[in-house]
Amino acid sequence: MTGGRIGDNEIYLLTGATGFLGSHIMAGLLIKGKGVVIIGRSSGGESLKDRIRKLLHWFGIEQLEELIEFYEADFQKIRMGLGDDEYERLCSRNLTIIHCASDTSFAEKNRERVMKSNVESLTGILNLATKSKATFFHFISSAYAAGIDTIECPEAPVNSLHFTNVYEESKARAEYIVSGRCKKDNLPFTIIRPSIVYGDSITGRSLKFNALYYPVRSMQQIRDIYLNDIINNNGIKSAISGIYINNEGALYLPVRIFIPNKGSINLIPVNYFTETVLSILEKPITETFYHITNNSSVNMATLAAYTERFLNITGVEIVIGTPIDDEMRNSPEELLDHFIRPYLPYISDRRVFLRENTNMVTGGALPPDLSYEIFQRCMSFAVSADWGRNLF
Amino acid sequence: MNEILKTAKNCRHYAMCKIDFLGTGLCESGAEKHYVSFYPQGRMDLYAALAEERIPVTEKCLEIADSCDLCGKCDYQCYFVTEMKPSLVMKALKEHIRIHLNNGGEVVMPEKDSILDELKGIVGDYWVTNDHAVALTYSHDPSPLTVPKMPAYVIMPDSTTEVSSVIKLLNRYKIPYAVRGNGSSVIGFVMSEGCVIDLGRMKTIKFDEKNWLVKVGPGVSAFDLQKAAVMRGYRVNVAEPSALVCANIMCSGIFSLFSASYGTAADNYIDAEFVGHDGEVFRLSDKSAPNLFAFKKEDSAIPGICTSAYIRLHPVTSDEGAAFVPFDSLNRALNFARECAMRRMGLAIGVLGGEYISAFLSPTKNMAAEVKEIFRDKLKIEYLVMVIGDKYTLRSIKEMGYNYFDNRLMRILNLGLPSLTSAKWLDLLEELAEEEPFSYLGLKHFADLAEAALAPSPAQLVNNVDPELRPFFEKLYSRPEMTDPVWLSMFRIISSRMGRDKHGVAMIIYLPIDSKLVIEINSEFKRIADAHGLKNAFGFITPLDDGKRCVFEYDYYFDQNDPDEKKKIQQAAMEAGMMIEKYSAETGTVTWIRYVFCQGFSRKESFLYKIDGADK
Repeated sequence: MTGGRIGDNEIYLLTGATGFLGSHIMAGLLIKGKGVVIIGRSSGGESLKDRIRKLLHWFGIEQLEELIEFYEADFQKIRMGLGDDEYERLCSRNLTIIHCASDTSFAEKNRERVMKSNVESLTGILNLATKSKATFFHFISSAYAAGIDTIECPEAPVNSLHFTNVYEESKARAEYIVSGRCKKDNLPFTIIRPSIVYGDSITGRSLKFNALYYPVRSMQQIRDIYLNDIINNNGIKSAISGIYINNEGALYLPVRIFIPNKGSINLIPVNYFTETVLSILEKPITETFYHITNNSSVNMATLAAYTERFLNITGVEIVIGTPIDDEMRNSPEELLDHFIRPYLPYISDRRVFLRENTNMVTGGALPPDLSYEIFQRCMSFAVSADWGRNLF
Repeated sequence: MNEILKTAKNCRHYAMCKIDFLGTGLCESGAEKHYVSFYPQGRMDLYAALAEERIPVTEKCLEIADSCDLCGKCDYQCYFVTEMKPSLVMKALKEHIRIHLNNGGEVVMPEKDSILDELKGIVGDYWVTNDHAVALTYSHDPSPLTVPKMPAYVIMPDSTTEVSSVIKLLNRYKIPYAVRGNGSSVIGFVMSEGCVIDLGRMKTIKFDEKNWLVKVGPGVSAFDLQKAAVMRGYRVNVAEPSALVCANIMCSGIFSLFSASYGTAADNYIDAEFVGHDGEVFRLSDKSAPNLFAFKKEDSAIPGICTSAYIRLHPVTSDEGAAFVPFDSLNRALNFARECAMRRMGLAIGVLGGEYISAFLSPTKNMAAEVKEIFRDKLKIEYLVMVIGDKYTLRSIKEMGYNYFDNRLMRILNLGLPSLTSAKWLDLLEELAEEEPFSYLGLKHFADLAEAALAPSPAQLVNNVDPELRPFFEKLYSRPEMTDPVWLSMFRIISSRMGRDKHGVAMIIYLPIDSKLVIEINSEFKRIADAHGLKNAFGFITPLDDGKRCVFEYDYYFDQNDPDEKKKIQQAAMEAGMMIEKYSAETGTVTWIRYVFCQGFSRKESFLYKIDGADK
């Protein structure tokens, strides 16, 4: 079954608009002049409206606020915590729903929270979709919902029983629930699966600094610890770990990064993600899975070289395998390993994501390769934003 | 109020100037003349009273002022605890007297008094006085509940026989009396309009190693006893360092973090000698002695004057260390502490709050405030459970899956505190904490990295200390014991800064380690203090009796010179008391320390557990 185009009186309902991907979808829709109903919650004493206003300011589109309707809601409550009238009013709208809200924690200790947020709370939004007879239900999932049982991942329902972490597992379960429920209720739907998204490849701007950024940031902090030791404390501790400033003025920081496989990291810039999602929204095909992924993943050796160049350090070595003896590792190496451990499966990934459906939508336009120039642009922005602390 | 008078009036009466806890030596006049008046604490009170013209210049004023040699030791001691410098007051006192004499001011001589003469006949001329300058320094403390009472006499007997004779004489003249150790309980127990009996001269410490005990006179402080025990390779369970051991048992029974294994109340002693209210001497081991092991839930009076106690000695192993296990919630911290106690792991166990740990680690209150924030906001540490034990205990904690700050890491953290306040790399730990809290502590080389990052050194730590005192403090922190949690805990130095910002009132209860109940009462303590706008903080919790019960301290703070705050704390303390009584009635398992006061010689089981028909 093919879904129709969104009509003039139709409006997009977006969840997760305060997040990294959701905010970019929101900005993309607003710039195209689309009306957006934002459902979300206040946080840290800040109302949903204020949170969104900050983002509109960041995107430089404050003037488009008039296209937004705000609904403070709680997905885990009945009728998402909305009043009867409010809920009914919403259901009477001609909605295209984009469900982007998600808990992105990888930690097993947060399993209950992640499952509640990513799986159990689907009921509320799917009930709304059914009751409102939504034009389309778009679920923003993850390419990694594919699991780890297969190397070649098609744009098809998940056929894997094993996952790297609870986040992947929750996304796979959510896809299953969304597909089943939408089919049962005759709701047109798509599943959109991005890989790892970093900042804007053209401007370098970003709202989130995990994934690609985290190892670089970790390395920067470790570099600064030893630079400070060398400059202010005679470098005694640095010397013990074999760290020094070389003749070229670069910090020699002997750090081996152990990765389990000679894989790579599948990265797409957020501008490519947004453009692709908007294209999918233009001509969605129901029951279709879209991989917004990169055919030419970058490997860790390249990223390490980029990082060395960016931070003016040397000595970073990529080693395939696992360290035999922790005692033989120096302290920066051990700490870096600890910092990036949650990301290890993604920086040495061998999975290949097929993307025929996405190619159809984008007309074959692929994301750019991560060149050093793009890397530098993104990391420079990250540093200027103090890795997210000076964003607003 | 000028700064000098402000300092004088802010003396907390913690008596830390009466013990040599920093190795500087004691105030010489105090050590020689024993009356509190000759210690910096007494001179602070005396100066304030003279400056405010509450007492005239007396004969003893001259002696007290003159005996101060302005050595400055009190600055080190007092600054360590409260960040105050008493030597300014000492100088001002001397100056006050000098000007008074230069102006031909009157010096009031002691009144003739036949009872005084009789008392002198017992203890000698010097050791009893009715001089107002001395009496004043025994007349009050900073407690909001204390009603100041100017004693007619202050007497310092030197033996049980003298105590006995004094009591008989006071009884004959129907003179009320109060017995005083160092007065560091600061709850108004040691005031009397009649006679204050200061036992500070009775400093016997006699070891009986064959019987694993030490006989302690009533003038021996916790610090001095521990020092003597440690020199012989033992440990004793003691309270705050300046508290006198006998007085402390009498007052509340001794409890400390070591009570997790050494127990409390009657667990700490084997026998004791008393002078009863009739002046007769008895030993607890006498068949006919009053039964002080029993406990009755009521406000009690002291059963007599403890003139010596036979304190248990505990063995020490050479592999002892501390583990500070961090937790993000009280519930988790309590569960861990209880588990350790149930498994009989650890000699000392304490659930410590952020206020407690940051106050101790930081040499200044400004730094303490910053450190408290870093612990909470960056490291996500709300509570630390400190466990002191041998290497097997520490290993077991790791095997249980808990990462912790060990001795080395605590030393690095302590001496590197100023760098911690500006460490950007903590942001990474903060983010990591969300996923794997405190996992970084499990890294084999984390201490090396922390050492590189924090560049710990005594010089760095004391960078914000008063410049005059900085060289001393730099030397002080170079001494290993000043960053050794085991030493600091057994000498009770670790809690000595709790009242640095403001004087504290400790709300102490005994109850089961039932997380729900503890958390509920903790919230109630907080709610009450917050409602009155008082600074307040979780103090500590130590498991007792294999984790079946615990002792829980919550602290309220107030400005002892602010009448408004004094009123607030009185009201808050009353409400907190009512709250405790409510829980006590509802649960039957909560006991307020109020009822243990003066019954500290009782068996802990008598107040930890409520047995039908036992409280008759």
